[in-house]
Amino acid sequence: MTGAPPVRIVLAKVGLDGHDRGIKVVARALRDAGMEVIYAGLWQTPEAVVRTIADEDADWLGLSLLSGAHMTLVPRVLQLLREAGLAHVGVLVGGIIPEADIPRLVEMGVARVFGPGTPLDEIVHFLREHTGVADG
Amino acid sequence: MALARLLTFLGREQHSEEILRRLTPPARPARVVAVTGSAGVGKSTLIGKMLEVIRGQGESVAVLACDPQSPLSGGALLGDRFRMPTNPQDAGVLIRSLSTPGGHGAITESLGAMIRLLEAFPFDVVLIETVGAGQGDTTVRDLADVLVLLVQPETGDDLQWEKAGVLEVADVVVIHKADLPGADRVEAQVRSMLTLSQRAPAIVRVSARATEGLATLWQTIKQCPLRRLAAEPTQGLLKLAQQTLQTWFTQAQRTQSAALQAILERWERGELSASETGAAVCRFLVESSHPRS
Ligand SMILES: Nc1nc2c(ncn2[C@@H]2O[C@H](COP(=O)(O)OP(=O)(O)O)[C@@H](O)[C@H]2O)c(=O)[nH]1
Ligand SMILES: [Mg+2]
Repeated sequence: MTGAPPVRIVLAKVGLDGHDRGIKVVARALRDAGMEVIYAGLWQTPEAVVRTIADEDADWLGLSLLSGAHMTLVPRVLQLLREAGLAHVGVLVGGIIPEADIPRLVEMGVARVFGPGTPLDEIVHFLREHTGVADG
Repeated sequence: MALARLLTFLGREQHSEEILRRLTPPARPARVVAVTGSAGVGKSTLIGKMLEVIRGQGESVAVLACDPQSPLSGGALLGDRFRMPTNPQDAGVLIRSLSTPGGHGAITESLGAMIRLLEAFPFDVVLIETVGAGQGDTTVRDLADVLVLLVQPETGDDLQWEKAGVLEVADVVVIHKADLPGADRVEAQVRSMLTLSQRAPAIVRVSARATEGLATLWQTIKQCPLRRLAAEPTQGLLKLAQQTLQTWFTQAQRTQSAALQAILERWERGELSASETGAAVCRFLVESSHPRS
């Protein structure tokens, strides 16, 4: 249609907790900001998430974690993305992440960590500003 | 280039002609099945269960899951695939979520091209999920071999559309959520409406939740003729004829508009009916533009 194609982002919850209120709020906000949001749902394995990214040819992956397993799950996802030739996909992490772990996640290759209570506008702005840039 | 990226190009109408030109025709045509019905009737859940049945028979299958764009923002929340759990290692399944431009809950313009790509890949089966609405349904029907319409108990809405003709164009009607009370009543309503119709779609009761009727449904779908095979050659000829007439007409307008003017006047005076006028124009165009053969 007009201008650049819409940002395409997959939102998924990895790990075992069953809370999806937060991720659904984010999903609606991104849609309302003109993005194409693919909601992959709860209890996703890293393998399933990466397969979804591949099939959907998404620009971004938003991972939500509350379970405390982020230091194992996130690196696993990043590793699988690289193996699948999807290193260009930007990865955002949301949920309850201890302050001390944030720099470590960023070092591993996460583009940004959004804690609980992050204003939705901030996520929208971040995605708008960085889409296409990561693609080179 | 990866199939997923090619789908992106087709969806954005970038390099479409070139991509399609390079495809090798499939050895065997895919079976293209459109699944339609109102939001919440269980299309995604049912497709998720059908994937197991289809893969169980060794056929590869691609899903194009369409959801409408938000008319305000142009964004979309594509929430079909989370109801379609699949094995991430299985290369024989592909699920792609598509946002469809607003309006009639219709399908994306590029859907036909995507189907051709998936067919050439090749996938044995292509399933298309679309939100039903009179307009979109008939468009998707032309792209698909089989149109499956889902209805569920306790929604007056569904039956409204059927009055508008959706029931008439379906090849298979699924009485879905048959685990709920009221399935009998819906089925009776559907049957009574169909007694007024020329066509007799198959009616199958299914519950995706209770995993009932799935094998029967797939069997029923497989027994439907591959409509695209039957329709395409002659449809293609009509399109060529229309294009040729269009070219001749444009030339005639430029060079011999007096003759066209005469036909127009006879029509306006009521000397020719609409179909006689059309035939007169065709005859004139053929005679005046007729290339030696
Ligand atoms: N009772 C019952 N509910 C179902 C069945 N299939 C799906 N549902 C529910 O219907 C709702 C809508 O399903 P979904 O597949 O998203 O519908 P769609 O909008 O047509 O794709 C969900 O809450 C499903 O759990 C079924 O066979 N029986
Ligand atoms: Mg759906």
